[in-house]
Amino acid sequence: MFEEPFRWMEAISTRHSYVREKLRKGQPVIGVPYNEGAVIIGFSPQPGKIFEIYDRIALGGLGHPADVERLRMTLLDMAHAEGFNRSSKDVTIERLLQFGLAPALKQNFEEIQRAPYLIQMLLAEINHEDGAEFFRVNYDGYWEKFKQGTVISGDKKVSERIQKKIDDTDFVSCTLNKSIQSALRIWEEGRKKPALEKESLKSTDDSDELDDEIEGHPTDLKEAFERWNLEVGILKKNTGRKCLYSTLSESEISALQSEVIR
Amino acid sequence: MIEKFEKIHSSGDFIELLKRSGNYPQQVLSGISNNKALEIPQGTTVLAFHYRDGIIVAGDRRATAGNSIMYDRCDKVIPIDDYSLMAIAGVPATAFEMARMLSHNFEYYRRSQLRAMSTEGKVRALSKLLKDNVAMALQGVGGVSPLFAIYDTQQEKAFLYFYDMLGAEFQILTHVATGSGSPMIKGILEHENLWGISSLGERSEEEATSLSIRLLQTAAQFDSATGQARPEDKLYPTIAKITKEGYQFIPDDEMATIYKSSMSRS
Repeated sequence: MFEEPFRWMEAISTRHSYVREKLRKGQPVIGVPYNEGAVIIGFSPQPGKIFEIYDRIALGGLGHPADVERLRMTLLDMAHAEGFNRSSKDVTIERLLQFGLAPALKQNFEEIQRAPYLIQMLLAEINHEDGAEFFRVNYDGYWEKFKQGTVISGDKKVSERIQKKIDDTDFVSCTLNKSIQSALRIWEEGRKKPALEKESLKSTDDSDELDDEIEGHPTDLKEAFERWNLEVGILKKNTGRKCLYSTLSESEISALQSEVIR
Repeated sequence: MIEKFEKIHSSGDFIELLKRSGNYPQQVLSGISNNKALEIPQGTTVLAFHYRDGIIVAGDRRATAGNSIMYDRCDKVIPIDDYSLMAIAGVPATAFEMARMLSHNFEYYRRSQLRAMSTEGKVRALSKLLKDNVAMALQGVGGVSPLFAIYDTQQEKAFLYFYDMLGAEFQILTHVATGSGSPMIKGILEHENLWGISSLGERSEEEATSLSIRLLQTAAQFDSATGQARPEDKLYPTIAKITKEGYQFIPDDEMATIYKSSMSRS
């Protein structure tokens, strides 16, 4: 049946729907700059959302943990082999995506007998001019680059709301603490549906869009801190070290929680 | 750039990744006869010893080929990761490659396994590289005999190791030196440790740095393959310390002051 173009297109369309449905509950991961680098934040029920990939590259992922792990290992392998064979300066997200991951993801997605990757990824990098760059990668290999920061979320509407708020905020001049706090506020605001949107959804009987509330996922920061784990990955330039990545410790996260909840 | 997606290789072993991708260096060169005399070219002096806050590692800057001085600004003390340093004596091409491989190995493990490799694992990793290199060493084109200094953040203690070219590792509790200039200074190190103003392990960072400069200057006096400092050209030995803060090199401007005071009799 797959020899017929229409059926192939139909199968691809079904795959898109399937993957989107599977990713729908994926919690937002936000990547934004700050005055000394870049930061990625995300809440999740289980740890394992934000990772270090290479000296100046960090990854935030959502989707099936096994797929996140598989692609994380692929990125690690590519980055380290390239860094060893050439130089760490040749390891950039753009190269990893354009000549490595994106074509492979697309091919995998379009080979319809194979299981698709249930994943969205956000990559952050401090480039060799010390600028922060952010990349969003979709399960089908489509990727975009952002300077001001970006978000991935299983819910498209949440993603759009958060992206708009990121675009409206001047993160580059904020300190690390201020950037994280602003990103957390945006996380919270992004999850709340505007009143107008709620009304229109009720009237069109699109009850799926209200699932977050029905399923009882945390909708505010207080609840999120209580029930989930916050992960914060930081890329800080000018440290004097070649590896720029670090994370917030448990005590730092507790301190952050008291500041934000207050 | 990308290989098959299907398999997950999750051992965290960078050497395995290099072998899998066909990038692991050649271990035997064809058409070269064995080095029956087992001579390891080691035109250098590197030394390390425990001091009060950790370990000091120092090396001269000269690279030679036979009687020729090839280069006078060679860095023989190489950071591997935030908490470890390697000082190299032997064939530079192999030694630098080993340092790069080790560095990637530790970082790859830490990033893939989400935890740092143990100190024992790191010590063994260098030993394995040396074992893999035995054939090249026996051919006389790749012999390396390094020093390895590491701070263990779990045990809150610094460890120092010396390796022979076959990969045997020896933990050093006080001091060690290797390279062609080392015989000239091993006795001084021992003398200083036993009968100096204090044992090496009790010395301050300033005292340890100053002693390292004097030792390298002494080695250079008697060994033509060890380079002397040339303050007029801002050329000083490479000296690094490894403590609970990780590794730190003494910067050149600081070296100028320490060198000057070290060269006067005190």
